[in-house]
Amino acid sequence: MSVLIDSLLAILIVYLALQCLLAPRLTQTVFLFFAFGLALALAWVRLGAVDVAITEAAIASGFLGVLFLDALRDFSFITSGKQESSDAANHSVSKKKPAFLSLPGVVLVLGLGLFLLITLEAVWKVPESGGLTAATEALLPESGVENPVTAVLLNFRAYDTWLEMGVILLGLLAVMAVGGIKIFPVHRKTPEDPVLQQVILFFTPILFLFGAFLLYFGKNGPGGAFQAAVLWGAIGILLHLGGRPVLTVIPRWLSQLLLIMGIGFFLMLGFLLLAGGASLFEYPPSYAGVLILIIETLAAISIAVTLVSVFVHLNQLNKEESN
Amino acid sequence: MDVFFTIVIVFLLLNIAVGLIRVWRGPTVADRLLTTQLFGTTGMAILLVLAGYLEDPDFLNVAITFNVLAILLVIGLVKVWKKKKGESP
Repeated sequence: MSVLIDSLLAILIVYLALQCLLAPRLTQTVFLFFAFGLALALAWVRLGAVDVAITEAAIASGFLGVLFLDALRDFSFITSGKQESSDAANHSVSKKKPAFLSLPGVVLVLGLGLFLLITLEAVWKVPESGGLTAATEALLPESGVENPVTAVLLNFRAYDTWLEMGVILLGLLAVMAVGGIKIFPVHRKTPEDPVLQQVILFFTPILFLFGAFLLYFGKNGPGGAFQAAVLWGAIGILLHLGGRPVLTVIPRWLSQLLLIMGIGFFLMLGFLLLAGGASLFEYPPSYAGVLILIIETLAAISIAVTLVSVFVHLNQLNKEESN
Repeated sequence: MDVFFTIVIVFLLLNIAVGLIRVWRGPTVADRLLTTQLFGTTGMAILLVLAGYLEDPDFLNVAITFNVLAILLVIGLVKVWKKKKGESP
């Protein structure tokens, strides 16, 4: 019977993806993308990849959501300085003729067909041994954690995770390079909007607690540094939107330290291990669990601060442009 | 019992499909945003039903993640609106 659910989900995902690309208005595209993210998270759950589902839920519906809304506002400022209608009626993408009639359309269809064939071929013959699952399971006791996903991400393939953190930091650097490093003005006025303040008061501890939960239980079950980081980052974004910009309170050297803390500790640990005769990121099995927890905590803080900085810088940038 | 859970999940999925009409037509951004809130709630319901069906409490973590982050979108939109109306750009 679950075939019915899965096929419905698959149809929904493909339909949403197509609509996302073909929708004539930007607002439609953005909100269809949210629905797409939700359907994708459900699909990951159905596939048994709960870790990925949490990440998808956190990033697609949380972080990307506010970024997209912010971008949407800017587009409406750029394309229509005069009209104040709340709908984005006047930035519809111009369409000349149906895409599937033109040459790029034909190429696209051919490419999609080829891709589908390759996918079908890849799905058709599943490796007998189940890929690397057996190897991971065998080495799990030495990794210091019980969740195979965390073991792979932070022990066996720690290199990848380390570089991923670098990629996120690079994203922030790109935003800073385009917009310039902001010295944030300190608002001394009392924040208005009592409802918003109450919401923030209510949600901040919940977000923090659930983030910490995901971080700590990432070694036994689904969860981990990235998911926790989005939840912690959401606190910063909420506070910023509520008129309490976090980055103005902490001094600049401290925020810089927080930004590079995760990747820096990871790197130093790797070099210390190299100096001790082991290879890069080869933790001694008896300390592996503790080391992974420290790395994950520092990484989560760093990523959270990075995400908040990205949002704050973009938001600040937009404010100045619109004035 | 199997059939019951399947029917519930399929019904909830169809709810999402129907909600897409509002995303497509919705005259204002707020209409569309409320639909995504509906999607979030429906998705959570699906996850909860699945968690009960497959008896896997890990799914609840996904549901809570959806739940606590849904507020971010609403607050983001409220701020966008405010700025669009020119109150405090």
